[in-house]
This record gives sequence, C-alpha cells and structure tokens, in this order.
Amino acid sequence: MIEKDVVIIGAGPAGMAAAVSAKESGVKDLLLIERENKIGGILNQCIHDGFGLHNFRESLTGPEYIDRYMQKISQLGIDVMSNTMVVNLNKDKVLTVSNPSGRLRIKAKSIILAMGCRERTRGAISIPGSRPSGIFTAGVAQRLMNIQNYSVGKRIVILGSGDIGLIMARRLTLEGSKVLAVLEKLPFSSGLPRNITQCLEDFNIPLKLSHTVVKIYGKERLTGVDYAQLDERGKVIEGTTRHLNCDTLLLSVGLIPENELSEEAGVHLDERTMGAIVDDTYQTNIPGVFSAGNVLHVHDLADMASMEGKKVGIFASMYIRGEIKEEKLYDVIAGEGVRYVLPQKISTQRDVQLLLRVKAPIRDHYIVVRDSKRVIKRRKVINMHPAVMLSLSLKAKELAETNGRIEVLIE
Amino acid sequence: MKVRELICIECPNGCELHVEYEEGNPDSIKVEGAICPQGIEYARREIFNPSRVITTSILVEGGEIPLVSVKTDKPIPKEKIFDAIREIKQARVSAPVKIHDVLIRNVASTGANVVATKSVNKI
Amino acid sequence: MKTQYDIAIVGAGVVGSFIAYELSRYRLKIALIDKESDVGLGTSCRNSGVLHAGFYYPTGSLKARLCVEGNSLMKELQKYLQFPMKATGKLLVAFRKEEVEELHRLKEQGEANGVELELIKGESIGKLQPGIEAMMGMYSPNTAILSPYGATIAAAETAARNGVDVFLSTEVKTVKKEGDFKLKTNNGTIRSRWLINATGVISDKFSSMVGVDGYKLYPCRGEYHILDKKLAPLVKMPIYPVPAKGVSGHLGVHITPTVEGPILIGPSAEYIDDPEDYSCTLPVMEKLFEEGYKLWPHFTRKDIIRAFSGIRAKPIPPGEKGFKDFIIKEDLPNFINLVGIESPGLTAAPAIAKMIKKMIEKKEKLTEKENFDPYYRGVKRLEPLPEEEKERLVRENPNYGEIICRCEKVTKQEILDAINNPIGAKSLVGIKYRSRAMMGRCQGGYCLPKIVDIMEKEFGLKPHDFYLHKPESWMFGGRLR
Repeated sequence: MIEKDVVIIGAGPAGMAAAVSAKESGVKDLLLIERENKIGGILNQCIHDGFGLHNFRESLTGPEYIDRYMQKISQLGIDVMSNTMVVNLNKDKVLTVSNPSGRLRIKAKSIILAMGCRERTRGAISIPGSRPSGIFTAGVAQRLMNIQNYSVGKRIVILGSGDIGLIMARRLTLEGSKVLAVLEKLPFSSGLPRNITQCLEDFNIPLKLSHTVVKIYGKERLTGVDYAQLDERGKVIEGTTRHLNCDTLLLSVGLIPENELSEEAGVHLDERTMGAIVDDTYQTNIPGVFSAGNVLHVHDLADMASMEGKKVGIFASMYIRGEIKEEKLYDVIAGEGVRYVLPQKISTQRDVQLLLRVKAPIRDHYIVVRDSKRVIKRRKVINMHPAVMLSLSLKAKELAETNGRIEVLIE
Repeated sequence: MKVRELICIECPNGCELHVEYEEGNPDSIKVEGAICPQGIEYARREIFNPSRVITTSILVEGGEIPLVSVKTDKPIPKEKIFDAIREIKQARVSAPVKIHDVLIRNVASTGANVVATKSVNKI
Repeated sequence: MKTQYDIAIVGAGVVGSFIAYELSRYRLKIALIDKESDVGLGTSCRNSGVLHAGFYYPTGSLKARLCVEGNSLMKELQKYLQFPMKATGKLLVAFRKEEVEELHRLKEQGEANGVELELIKGESIGKLQPGIEAMMGMYSPNTAILSPYGATIAAAETAARNGVDVFLSTEVKTVKKEGDFKLKTNNGTIRSRWLINATGVISDKFSSMVGVDGYKLYPCRGEYHILDKKLAPLVKMPIYPVPAKGVSGHLGVHITPTVEGPILIGPSAEYIDDPEDYSCTLPVMEKLFEEGYKLWPHFTRKDIIRAFSGIRAKPIPPGEKGFKDFIIKEDLPNFINLVGIESPGLTAAPAIAKMIKKMIEKKEKLTEKENFDPYYRGVKRLEPLPEEEKERLVRENPNYGEIICRCEKVTKQEILDAINNPIGAKSLVGIKYRSRAMMGRCQGGYCLPKIVDIMEKEFGLKPHDFYLHKPESWMFGGRLR
C-alpha cells in the first residue's frame, strides 16, 4: 500500500486546478488520478470555444483550456496516474485503483473528489416506446464524433436545451446532419443565451419550449418520435402530440454527479445537488475528504469548476499542515425560492462565498441571508435564473454573532 | 430606423441588447443594455457583418487519434461558414500536429486561418 | 458448417440451447438454428430470471414435473456452466383472506409436487424480508434467481465447443419432409433426420410450417422496470403477491432481485398481436410503479434505470381461464414439437432437454462422446472474485487491469472474451449479455465509446459493422471524416 498526502480523483477542470493550487500551496506528495489516458476530463471532447473567459480572459476551446493547465502541471512536476480507475474508496481514505500495470491500494491523508458527472439516460426518464438503436446521450454522441470520428445519424431530434444539447445541435448541423428541432420540457432553456444564438438561431433550428418526447418509434433503428406540449405542471396537454421522422435522438436531459465512490466511502450527499454536503472548507463529513467541481454540484461553466478546484486545493494543503481545526458548524438552509445553496455548513470563522441556484426565473428580487434573529445580508439582483449559478460573499465578521439557523432565501 | 433584440455572445453574461440602426449605415447604431464596450462592437458586427469563430475537426493521418480539433483564428462572416466547413472537411493533415499549428491558411478566402487546438502525436 | 445433420433444433432460446447442450454429449451432428443475431434474444433474455420450485402447477402436469426436475438439474449444471445464480428462496405474500386461502392451496399442491414449503405468519415476514407488511406469507427455500441470458449463452456456447453448429441470423422459410426434414433458410438449405421446434412465442406458427396445425398461441407482453443495484441489500429474495385469480397463470407484479444486483419490478400482462413488439407503454409503466410501490414501498422514480419487456407464449386466449400444460410431443415421426413453453420454461429447460433425449433414445441408440467438455469457457468475470485473486489476474494479464465499464466494473479482457465468443455473435447486445458492460446505471454512457474503440482497433470493425441487435439496428451513419 502506498501513501500520499493529497490524492485528487479526476483530472477534469476542477481536478487539474486543485492539483495546481495544492502543489503551489506547498503539498509535495500529491497524486492526480485520471481514468482516461489523457487528462482534461470532458473538455477533451468539447472542441467548441467559450472556455477560459474568466480564468484566462480569452475564449478557448476545451482542448486549449486543458493545455493551459497541462503546462502548469508539467512545470510543477505534478504526479499524474492516468488510464487508472478508482474502483473503491473507504471511510479510512484508502483507495483501490486499477490500471493495466496492476491493482493497488493507496492510503491518502486527504482526498479531493473531482469525478464530475454522468448523463441522465432514456431509461432513467422512462420514455415509452420501442428500444431501437439511434438514441444517444449528447455527451456520448459528442465523444463518438469528435474523438473517434463516427457519424451518429442524419436526421436528428434533440431533447433538452441545456448547453450540451445546443452545442451538439450546431456541431451536427455543421457536419451535414439535419437537426429537426430541440425540445425542452421546461418553459425556459437552461443553456447559455449565447448558445441559443450561435447554435440554434444561426441555423434556424426550432426550439420548442414546454415540449417533450412522449413516444419512440422504430423496431431496429429509430424511425421517429412523438412529441407533445406540456402545461405549467409538466403534464402533457391532450391533442398536442405531433410526430417527427428522424433516425437519431440525442438526449441532453441532465447531469448526475458521479458520487458512487463517495457513497461507498460513507460521504453524506445532498439530495438537491446530488453532491456531497460540505462545509466552508469544502470538506465532507469525512475529515480530509473534500469535493470540488461538477461532482459537488453541476456548474454552468468549466471556469467555475476550476475556480472551485483551485480553492479546494488550497484547503487540502491547509488540512495536511494541520491548519484546519475542528470547528462548530452551522447548517445553511435553502429557503423560499432557493433550490440549493453551498456550502451546506459554515463555521463563521472564515469568509465564505455562498453559491446558490433559484428554483424559477425571477426579476427584481433580493437574495437574503438571515438567521433566526436578524438579516445578515440582503442583495438585489435584477435577473435571477435557475440556469445561472449565483454567488454571495459573506465576511467572517458579518457571520460572527450568528446563533445558527442560517437561511438563504429570495424575497 | 430598424430595431433588433440581440443577446451579446462576447462573454457568458449574455447582455440583452436593444439595437436601433439604419440599413447600410454602421455609424447609425444605437445600443442599449451592454455593460461593456465589447457589447456595442458585437452589436455593430452582428447587424452589419455577422461573424463567427468556427470550431470543428480535421482528419489526421498516422496519428494516435483520428481527428485534430481546430478553430478559425478569428471570426469569419456567417455567409462563408459552410464554404469554410467544406474546405475543412476535405483537408487532411499528417501527424504529428502541434497545438496552434496553422493547418489551413486563408480558409474560404476569409482572411482567417484554421489552427489546431490540440496536439496529436504520431502513432 | 455442414448441410446434413442428425438433429436440427430451431430456436436457440434457453430451451433450444439446453437441448443442444444435452445432445452435444452424444455422437450426433447437431444444428442449432436461430433467426436472430445471437442466442436467447427472444423471451429468454426478457424475464424475471427466477428458478421456480414448482408449486404453481397442477400435480401430475408436465409443468410441475419438469419444473421440479429442472430446479435441481439447473443447480447441478450451474457448476459446469457457471452462469450467475443465487439460492435466495422466495416469498409469496397474501394481503387478504381469499389470498391466504390460496396460499394454503398452493402449499398443498406444492407439497404434492415434492416441493418444500413453509407458511410464515404475517409478523414473522419481516425477519425474512424487511419492509413487507402482509397477512401471511409462504417461503419457498428451493426457489433461486439466475441470469437467464447467462444460462442460455453458457449452454449454447458450450454446446458449440462440443461440436454443435450454431446458425445465427438464419430464418427457416419452409420445411419439407423428403425422408429427412429439408429446411430452406435465408442461408441455404439444412437437412436433418430429426427436427425440434423450440421457437418459443411463434412455435404455433413454426409447427404449422412443418405441417402440424391446430396449435394457437397468444402473445402476452410483460413490461418491467429495472431499479438501481444500490437497492440490492434491501431485497433478499423474490417477493410475489399471491396470483390474482382473474388472469390465468399471470403471477402479478412482483419485486425480484437479480444476481448482478438490480431489482426488477414486474411483469405486467397484456395480450398483443405482434409477437415481437417489445415496446414499453406509458400506462403500464405507471401501473408497474404504483403496484410495485404498494407491494414494497422502498424506492423512488430516481431509482429506475430503465424499462424492458418480454413476450410470453400463452396457450390460453385472453379472457379465458384455466390451465394448459406444456406441449412436448413427437407430432410427426422424428419431429418433436414444443409449443406453449411459457413459465416455468426457463426452470424446466434442462429437464425438457433430458426428456427430449429420452424421446430420441427410444428410437435410436445414443453413444456418448469421449471428449465431451461440460464446462463453459467464455467470459470470466473479475468483479466477483476476492481482491487477492483480482490482483493476481491483473498481474498476469494487463487487460484485466483496464476497466471499460465503470458501473459494472467490467475489464477489457472480459470485453475481448465476449467479442471472441465461439458462436460468432458480434452485436452490441451480445457483448452486453456476455460481459455485463452497458447494463449498469449509465447504460453505456461511459463504456459504449470504449467498446466501439476496442472493436475498431482490435477487430477491424468499420462504422457500418456496428449494430445493436442486427444490421438493421445500425449504430453509425459512417465516418465523420
């Protein structure tokens, strides 16, 4: 069994940034584990641009963004174990890993969970109908096209207007396929507005909000889908069902943080984020086990996942040096109008940046942080949308006199 | 005066721009809703000379992977997108390819080059 | 491949495959023929995977006798064929007085059939299976769960290794008796002295093709939900409600654990026209969720991984009640007809095989082969092995160290072995059923591209060579560049 000070599981946007900041903060015995044979995570297949606007002040493609971190990782001499899968993690911070060279166990003083997400599948949303070939999640289609040089089909319907679906609408159109429509079950798109312009409007691809696929046809290969309009409660409106002949259905219906390893180790998860419950040092309920990036909560931008990874790398290095003491933690509760807030526990001993998402689009309202006695902070935000993560900084002294029961709500 | 509602794509803020302009007169443009000067420039370009950076792939021969991801090194006029794509689809490069290598010069006579956005080693 | 055989088995489902396995012990030229691209792709891969004990069937019936016999035979053969199987027992639960009466009746019938059964008081059910509130239960210790596609593939592949010619993607178009049986297929003509009809849901139609009319089967579809295997620790054994007296033979929506972990909810029962319509329908999917939740209220919609359906070969028409037994008869000289092999067909398969062997033996001498190898030599799963064993295997073979399917922890060697099967099945479902890859919660989201890569790089497949079930279910339109 080998021993390491800090082990980072996943070398995507969060993991790479965490490795760099941990090393720069003085961690010597660091290991970055990645299951693909190249680091960078999902960005390897994201050949479109728009990455790095925050972190590098440039619009980079996914591979270029990776390259920036790759250079730092080489310069800093960070130990990377690629083509390696973590098959088990236990509460004693022992990892079992597997690669063609062997299976081995690693005892870590500190672990950063940065495994990212998997995609929600057709099966998980129970779309009725036959089960032909030709149904792909958008990420799988993206990988097959951009990395492996496969064409997935000619007449495409895309379910889900999140960024992955929108990006693929453009990609497929540029490659000569016909994207018939992007269907979105909510009354608003969760993708970035720039993507609505660049991916749909540029190519006259119809976006049908409040619509979803209700039946799949095709005995062997997909031949078409029925789609229908939904009411405010998300129920199908009778009489609105229409058919689209197509040979390919791409699903962009949600990302699920891959916390199976975390659960196996006994990390407590938040039902709403599907990620770990963390405190203001990004530590989970297991001391020394941290979480960052999409596996903690789904981000809108890779830049933000990296920023989070960077913060967590620093906390991990502090933990190794014994600089993080056991502190009393107060719960932070998602109140009225707030779908989730991170971190879910704070110590009030340090400044904290709260990250939150609202439940529904809302204008000219306030984000309010209060405890049972008083309002701690109140900030007006003109435009709040579930697809855009909001942040609110709180200084330690603003939190100092709290008596707990901290709630974040919209009013 | 003509009116268009645009969403600026220069950065993730996605400012909603209300644009008034005279056909054929780029100086006539009036933009509301931009929080930075990039937004105004974007509106001017988008109305009078809409352009996009194209990101796609080129087939690599003899490489560890079959495709190298590429981009145009500056935005190209929207109406030239499919001409550029056609030229890019027919191109072939041999490994090794280094990130930032210029693979096609002056694609579709747009003045933009097509550059590699990743490196591909020889197999 | 030859064109002249002693035995031609049409239909390579679990029954046909076990017949092939049994007969491959003897010096016989055997053809196992299936119109699909792999074995078991009909009902055999689409059921609850339960090895029944034999108490549902009238004493003295073939179903009862062959089920009880098959139950022990399958457990014996599992040692050689090594398909996943687990001796869980089964719990039957009654919620109302009429159901309690039925429980007593089933216990009597079961005991008359030679099945060990135990009645459980309502309060004690929780000790066997937590989370169920019922009036009374019945525990069947000999019921087990197994992988139905695992068993089918193991039997068929081992038969192939012992000399059986497996004809896949081969559909019999006409059958003539000219001394021998002459089978015209899309892949040429096959002649055989004996013909065995093991075609399952369409066995009535095949029987007519051979010239024996008078049988009619009514396809009855059963839909299922599959729940995430993280719920596995909560379900100790199949939980079946007492069969509703309305529908003949339909066992009611049950909760069934699988050997690999995921939990099945279902099946439903709906008579349909098309014996190959494996759709899942909205009203049924909703009803399954409701009924499953009523029986065992410990899961949510988020736990659903996917749905699937299978089609039963029911000999009793919709609306009618009663019992119809298996038809296993030599309806023409040397033509053994199996019609209406619905549940317990999976359990009975090895017993049916022995019965068929005896029918053939009545008319000719069967000589055992000296070099019969009864063992399955296909995919060896790494994940169930102890850690030291895993470490050793990875040291010996780096391909066991590369994990391809993350959800089910399937390694590259297992994928290679699945593709290199002795019957030449090359579909993605074939790889799925042999290796378990793509069957986890992400449904191939991680491993599909990697499996495609392996097939391209190590087996030279081109984009048009990839298909889900058969070439018509193509995966790719071609190359991007």
